[in-house]
Amino acid sequence: MKNVVNLRVAIALGTAALAAYALVASLDWPFRTALFPRVLGVPLLLLAILELILSLMSVDTGRAGHAVDFAMTEGLDPEVARNRTVAIFLWILGFFILILVFGFTLAVPLFVFLYMKFAGDEGWALSLILTAVAWLTMEGLFNRLLHIPFADGWIFSLWR
Amino acid sequence: MFDAFIQGLFVVLQWHTFVFMLVGIFLGFWVGLLPGLGGSTTLALMLPFIYRMTPVEAFAFLLGMHAVVSTTGDITSVLFGVPGEGTTAATILDGHAMAKRGEAGRALGAALMSSLVGALVGAFGLALAVPVVRPLVLTFGAPELFMLAVVGIAFISSLSGGGGRSLLRGFLAGLLGLLFALVGQDPQAGVQRFTFGQLYLWGGLDLVPVLVGLFAVPEIVDLAMRGSSIAGELPQGNLGRGAWEGVKDTFRHFGLTIRCSLVGTFIGIMPGLGGGVAQWIAYGHSVQSARTPAEREGFGKGDVRGVLGPGAANNSKEGGALIPTVAFGVPGSSSMAILLGAFFLQGITPGPDMLDKYLTLTFSMVWTIAIANIVTVAVSLFVLNQLAKLTLVRGSILIPFILFLAFIGSYTSNNHLGDLVVFLLFGALGYLMIRCGWPRAPLVLGFVLGRIAENNFYISMTRYGNAWLFRPVVLILMVLTVVVILYPFLQLRKRIPVEESV
Repeated sequence: MKNVVNLRVAIALGTAALAAYALVASLDWPFRTALFPRVLGVPLLLLAILELILSLMSVDTGRAGHAVDFAMTEGLDPEVARNRTVAIFLWILGFFILILVFGFTLAVPLFVFLYMKFAGDEGWALSLILTAVAWLTMEGLFNRLLHIPFADGWIFSLWR
Repeated sequence: MFDAFIQGLFVVLQWHTFVFMLVGIFLGFWVGLLPGLGGSTTLALMLPFIYRMTPVEAFAFLLGMHAVVSTTGDITSVLFGVPGEGTTAATILDGHAMAKRGEAGRALGAALMSSLVGALVGAFGLALAVPVVRPLVLTFGAPELFMLAVVGIAFISSLSGGGGRSLLRGFLAGLLGLLFALVGQDPQAGVQRFTFGQLYLWGGLDLVPVLVGLFAVPEIVDLAMRGSSIAGELPQGNLGRGAWEGVKDTFRHFGLTIRCSLVGTFIGIMPGLGGGVAQWIAYGHSVQSARTPAEREGFGKGDVRGVLGPGAANNSKEGGALIPTVAFGVPGSSSMAILLGAFFLQGITPGPDMLDKYLTLTFSMVWTIAIANIVTVAVSLFVLNQLAKLTLVRGSILIPFILFLAFIGSYTSNNHLGDLVVFLLFGALGYLMIRCGWPRAPLVLGFVLGRIAENNFYISMTRYGNAWLFRPVVLILMVLTVVVILYPFLQLRKRIPVEESV
């Protein structure tokens, strides 16, 4: 619960900072360019400060209402949930780094294999078959058929 | 005219035209399923293939493809929580929540049948509107379009949920979305706003990586956190036989489906608004249809009405968008602009000729939209229950493929690595919003409407000064804005005494 309150404080603080930045940046712009950022920035800053105060005071549970959105699964061991959340974010970031380093064509099958084998603990056969499917989709559909211009990985630019 | 209407059907049913349409439907089916690979990109890719076709064949092929993209985009949104198309993101909120409850088949059935109803309403609208649309479109200048954007923004109050704190967060999210829409070159003076010296940001943030990040990442994190399949360990009784239930839901809430279809058609007619707006306004209207606060709390948790509204609107808008394109040569969206190119490739100039010389061709387009959607929904219904079983596949197998599609989908919007950074940043923001109880729908609504509102506001001021505020349609839309904002509060006040008396 304490973590969630900290996150609420963080998101409110971040929003307030963003609104403040928008207002400060708009000072250098001509009136017409600055009008919309200012019209939006002022209420955003005020509401974000209000949300920040309410979050700091933990005024929440009774009158929180209900967001029209899904909620993360509850009832899991908090330690397990936290570890899995951190792990999946690291995998997502890792996939991005693989794309930067190797380019899409290699990064996609590599990521599918690594994730299935090490995060999913799947068998060799299934991991290799689905890695091949990923590579075929990448190469056949996106490269050969649709000719999407994928950026080369950094590692390949070293040879040029 | 009736003769041309019937003749339009016969030309579409000629075997070579029909085969071209089927090829288009096949392509559109897969394009819709793949996140990020938009209908407009595929339309552009397919343009070179129409040189050797007759006009009827060319439009059967292109419209057959384009008409079903939103329909199958809903399938990806429901099953994986990743928007198959930018226009199918709203379906995720309740559709994917239903999939997680073991009701993927029902959600898919509802999405597809409402899409079919929407497409038929849009096509019917196109057929009816062609002769009378001129005064309507001419009535809507920049001031009216600005006010329409304001009406859309007012739906934030409906999308925020009940309770003062939820409303506060809803408005915060909406304002954030409006602010994100301002990134890029200012449309008035060309001044760079919030671009941090990055060329990539000059054109503003692209909708696709923003949507894919906001919606896909929290779902992927939730799936990884649970360590199970999408449908989890729940009893799977409804999974295999739910599609028919979803079809019946469309007719149980037929009034809502029709109203949302009309919303979609109307927004489609208005140049520059598009499906990104239609789906969220339709979703907002679906939330408004909740009769009690308890019912309202079901939205976002898997209420089938949250699937029906956007499903109907994002298909009906296609028929609507064709109206100004065909009648005046004014494309209402990027897809329609590409389709306009197809007209010129075929040596046809859109305009009065389409209502006279080429009337049969115009009606063949109406029939193509209708038949393409009927074929797609009929074929999909056969495989829906099998598709629904994907929600039983282990997360460890699904996650790498969902991430693959999410990254590719984001990248293909501009073919730029910056899209991936935007995807990651908005993914993190989406996760934070979910954890902190901030609704994402108002943010998206603000984001899609922000630039439309700003552009039309300045055109209105430049063209009319303050006089635009007193135009009759503007005044009507102002009243409508107040009604949309106050409706949830009025509804709540009306219910409380009733509940107290019970």
